[in-house]
Amino acid sequence: MARVKKTYQVTIRNSGQTIACAVDRTILQAAVAAGIDYPYACATGNCATCISKLEDGKVSLLPHGDACLGKAQMKSGLTLACRARPRSDVTINWLARAGN
Amino acid sequence: MAIRADVAAQRARACKAFMAQVHSTTAKEGITPSTLHALKLKLVALAKRADLFPLADFAMPDAQGRTYPLLVEENDGHGLYLTIGLPGKEAAPHDHGIWCVNAAVSGQEQHVFYRRTDDGRRAGSATIAKVGEVMVEPGSGMVMADHDIHSTEVVGDRPAVGLALYGYALARFPSVTWFHPEFTSVRATLSRRHAA
Repeated sequence: MARVKKTYQVTIRNSGQTIACAVDRTILQAAVAAGIDYPYACATGNCATCISKLEDGKVSLLPHGDACLGKAQMKSGLTLACRARPRSDVTINWLARAGN
Repeated sequence: MAIRADVAAQRARACKAFMAQVHSTTAKEGITPSTLHALKLKLVALAKRADLFPLADFAMPDAQGRTYPLLVEENDGHGLYLTIGLPGKEAAPHDHGIWCVNAAVSGQEQHVFYRRTDDGRRAGSATIAKVGEVMVEPGSGMVMADHDIHSTEVVGDRPAVGLALYGYALARFPSVTWFHPEFTSVRATLSRRHAA
């Protein structure tokens, strides 16, 4: 019997939608798959177009460039949706203009 | 400390000499596949001088990637950088809009090359197909023409330290175009040229 992947609920404040995101998917992947116009460009932690405020919950981050998300930014609650995998239910708010 | 300063001075001289060779080559022949290949060989030779690029002079990234300017020319001149990527650091397929040459000092970075397969008529949408790959590791390098597409990933368990020469300095880059096969999408980061 196939094992069901664990998922968490991700609420995207800008669009007002809550979507399911598997623990091995990034928030950006789940958002785009759900048809949400989340701003992004590189989607690999190199440009910071998807920089977002993590308002609630925990994420783990995939590799990214220092220039995109520094330690101080992380401490202040910022994250990169393209690099963030949920580790709890999450509420997030993108900072860039949609369509960038 | 005196030794470290000496290495920095030697490095600066070597980078200046390299850039002079670059201009000498391109002045005669322009930017062509042949000249880019010649530049790659020169950059590989510079990268082999690992003693000029001690990690004591280039702090490891806080996260996974950092770029240090070695010699950045003014206006629309070239930019020569030292790049450090930690294992797992990746970049989705992208087109810099400007040519580049890379060579490894240490570690390994996998480069995969693509071509665009759609007609570009549907905004925000694109498809690409893999056309080749190369492992950039000590003794080797890679070149890309203005609109070539590549993805990168640092592989192995060591940081990838390399030299990168770009047609323009990073601060004067044109828009970078990113391709996402998973989403069949294409997105662009803003050009930095207006701000430079």
